[in-house]
Amino acid sequence: MDLIFGDFRKFYEVGDGYGLAQTLSPISPPSQPERLRNFYRSTNFQNVQKDFKYQILYDNSAPFKLPADEGNGWVEVYVAYWKAVGEIQIAEAAANSGHKASWMKVYEAWKELTNMLHRGYMNCNFGSWTIPCLYVVGKYLRVFAIKADEGAASSQAVSATFQDDFNPDSEKNEKLEDAARQLNRIFNLCLSDRASLEESRKWGIYNIINLLFKTYFKLNSISLSKNILKAIRAYRGDMPPLESFPLAHQVTFKYYVGVIYFLEENYVESEKNLTEAWTLCHKDSIRNKELILTYLIPCHLLTTHTLPTLALLSPYPRLQKLFLPLSRCIKKGDLSGFDAALIAGEDEFVKRRIYLTLERGRDVALRNLLRKVFIAGGFEDAKEPGAPQVRKTRVPVAEFGAAISIGSKETMDNDEVECLLANMIYKNLMKGYIARDRGIVVLSKGGAFPGTGV
Amino acid sequence: MNASWSHPPPPGTESYGYAHAPAYHPVQVRQSFNQPAISYQITAPIQPKPTEQPAQKKKIDWPQPVRDYVQRSFDPSNVLADVDRKDMEDKLKVTISEATDNNTLHTIDWANLPLPQHVIRQERATAAAAIAWQRESVNMQQMAGSSFMNPAREQMLKSKKRKSQDIGDAADDESKSIPPWRATNPRNGFEDRITYPADRFDKRQQPLQDDALKGTSKFNKALEKRQKRFDGGYKSTYKASPSPEPSSGPVIGTCQTLEKQYFRLTAPPIPSQVRPEHILRQTLDLLKKKWKKEGNYSYICDQFKSMRQDLTVQRIKNEFTVTVYEIHARIALEKGDLGEYNQCQTQLKALYDQNLGGNPVEFKAYRILYFIHTSNRTSLNDVLADLTTAEKGEPAIKHALNVRSALALGNYHRFFRLYLDTPNMGAYLMDMFVVRERLAALSNMCKAYKPNVKLRFVTEELGFESDGDAAQFIYDHNGQFLLEERESGLVFLTGDAKQIFETAKVAAFSKVDIKGQI
Repeated sequence: MDLIFGDFRKFYEVGDGYGLAQTLSPISPPSQPERLRNFYRSTNFQNVQKDFKYQILYDNSAPFKLPADEGNGWVEVYVAYWKAVGEIQIAEAAANSGHKASWMKVYEAWKELTNMLHRGYMNCNFGSWTIPCLYVVGKYLRVFAIKADEGAASSQAVSATFQDDFNPDSEKNEKLEDAARQLNRIFNLCLSDRASLEESRKWGIYNIINLLFKTYFKLNSISLSKNILKAIRAYRGDMPPLESFPLAHQVTFKYYVGVIYFLEENYVESEKNLTEAWTLCHKDSIRNKELILTYLIPCHLLTTHTLPTLALLSPYPRLQKLFLPLSRCIKKGDLSGFDAALIAGEDEFVKRRIYLTLERGRDVALRNLLRKVFIAGGFEDAKEPGAPQVRKTRVPVAEFGAAISIGSKETMDNDEVECLLANMIYKNLMKGYIARDRGIVVLSKGGAFPGTGV
Repeated sequence: MNASWSHPPPPGTESYGYAHAPAYHPVQVRQSFNQPAISYQITAPIQPKPTEQPAQKKKIDWPQPVRDYVQRSFDPSNVLADVDRKDMEDKLKVTISEATDNNTLHTIDWANLPLPQHVIRQERATAAAAIAWQRESVNMQQMAGSSFMNPAREQMLKSKKRKSQDIGDAADDESKSIPPWRATNPRNGFEDRITYPADRFDKRQQPLQDDALKGTSKFNKALEKRQKRFDGGYKSTYKASPSPEPSSGPVIGTCQTLEKQYFRLTAPPIPSQVRPEHILRQTLDLLKKKWKKEGNYSYICDQFKSMRQDLTVQRIKNEFTVTVYEIHARIALEKGDLGEYNQCQTQLKALYDQNLGGNPVEFKAYRILYFIHTSNRTSLNDVLADLTTAEKGEPAIKHALNVRSALALGNYHRFFRLYLDTPNMGAYLMDMFVVRERLAALSNMCKAYKPNVKLRFVTEELGFESDGDAAQFIYDHNGQFLLEERESGLVFLTGDAKQIFETAKVAAFSKVDIKGQI
């Protein structure tokens, strides 16, 4: 108890929000593995209120005096924290001895802590410099909710409903959905703060938004993230610009926004946000950069038809495994190889939600194959010596058909070949037209395959 | 907004909007509102706020208009016989303290503010009306009698009256088609095992509900809706208000009647109105026969919904449950009722996950086609993630997956081959998006082929039954000028089409809107 409240006084005096937040961590620091256990044992249910009150409000050795309402608010917060720590220790002990841990109780206790903290800001004038406490509490609220749901799934909690049908999803993620609601309350707590910007809880908004995004992604309710973005947009006049927030908040936020656009197939916006995240990301956070590239590379493939270089991928073995086989096939115009690579990586691609995007890379592979046919066709016979050479721009459909059939290792009839060619033309990957009567494709003399030099 | 709040809308007339709402709404016991409705014409809000009153008590120099208002309230000529003094005093106190708290003491037009006794009377009338609507026996004149009502208000009441007349007419119509013994004595004896066409949207005669609560639920809903909007809308509706705790454990039904109209539950189910499984099995047989014989979809859908509800409240999850949902899903599919189909599909997914039997392959294939139709990439991705290798090899699922990849790659040639060879009832789903895919393919062709192609080619590539159908399709999208008669037959002038199919395609892809879909 003395340790924690010693820290409390220390950080409170200097106004160190992140330090203060650490006193509410549910995990003992490595340097003091017994810290939480000792804290829990230092008092009991009967005396906890009184003890903490003494520590926070009446300890004369403290270098400062808290106003009564603020002090009482913190007393409630730490009492709730103490109870939550108790539940955590029970759950951890159970888990260690192989019993079923009740994370449900941990979640409920932690939620109570969240409520107390929320109340502190609403009613007890907690300073805005203490908002890192919200980050820590919010972060673990999500963690405990997930653990609670994992436990509940096996015990099949009986939830009462009057619904016409069962609701399979809410049964599975009951606590996490609840956690999302609590985080949303914190979001509003930050958003609606009317204090002047220097004193505002608005500075916590992006951290909380990132937690919410993370939760919505886990819940598979990504569409709800849109509501958050809408709310932010509505308040943008009163909000400090994103650039003035801590870099960590910015990078995560931009990453999520990029992925949301990615999933909506808005690759241009997605690329913009992901690129910003990429450039701002700390050079040593390999894991985060890897995550950003996971979406930025497919994005780039579709918007600019370019592939990642080996140099770019070299620090990320996982990404190499993910993208290199496909990249090679796209480059060579190897259709059957592309299909095989797509099937081989399907599980991983689907898990990361990039399968449907990568699949469209086949267009680029096909373009490269057709381009080879065009180049192999060679040049028109020069009409007069010395004139610049002109490529043969009239290519029989059958020639493309032969290439596709070889490339995809199955014979394809001419109608289907024409269909693929029509697609290339429609998507501006190839310039020209099909003259069906004559069975030829007439390609543009100036740049039959835009952006590829021929 | 205010106008619609001043009266709780009569439940019977507005329940259409919720016909597809997925869940019940817990009805809260009223706590803070004395009456189900508050008239917003009165400038000062009149809900009591007991907690705040003491804190705000301070010496106030009451302005003259307020004093006059109080005086008028107690003037013997204004006393109403049916409002006793105590109630009036309370109301007065609330009105004034609210005004004080809100600092509107000086802004309210006290001279024209309705007196407290009138407010009370009006509130009572409104509450009475809420109940009366349900019983369809309201006497408007009584309510409209109060002298303070402004013309707009009376107009409103009149228009409501017209509605109630409409309801009356509808009821009359019904009584023509329903024999009198049924109308007066439902669910009794064998007559009930014969059914008459029921309108599934007709929910006026809800037997399970407390009339007064219904009004409140409506009002709560509005509140909840507002709150939902306010806090970002994360499903707060269903948890926010404390729901009455249903007795623990599932209901065990005792109802022996085969058929039952569907009503959305707002209170714990009553065992005598819930059919146990062995009765439900008989119901299913009956419904299957009726569907074959009569094909009355609104009746069938209503009956299936009530069956699903009975299964749910009794927590019956077995192979029979699967069958019920599967049959309902198939019927909904056949009738193009995608909202209902989607509800069944969601349940079926969860049921299949528990390995309860049924036809998971068939329905997983539908599910893929459905998500193609709704262009729901996220769900499509999830479906792919859930499929096992063995399932991917099943013909129906393989077909659906091929449809998906053909569309993803713009391979309309392959898509329409697959369309003509769809297993099970998948064609009903594919019919939903085949038009837009034809438009996409046409705009594709128009850009790629020059100067023309034979109409026969369009017919074959886009899976039309005949050249006539293909020509009709082009006609329907204002492409008549693109068809030309030649010696070799009709040709389609792709080179001249410009943007017409592109525009039609964009429009077709932009509107995928399904009732009941989240």
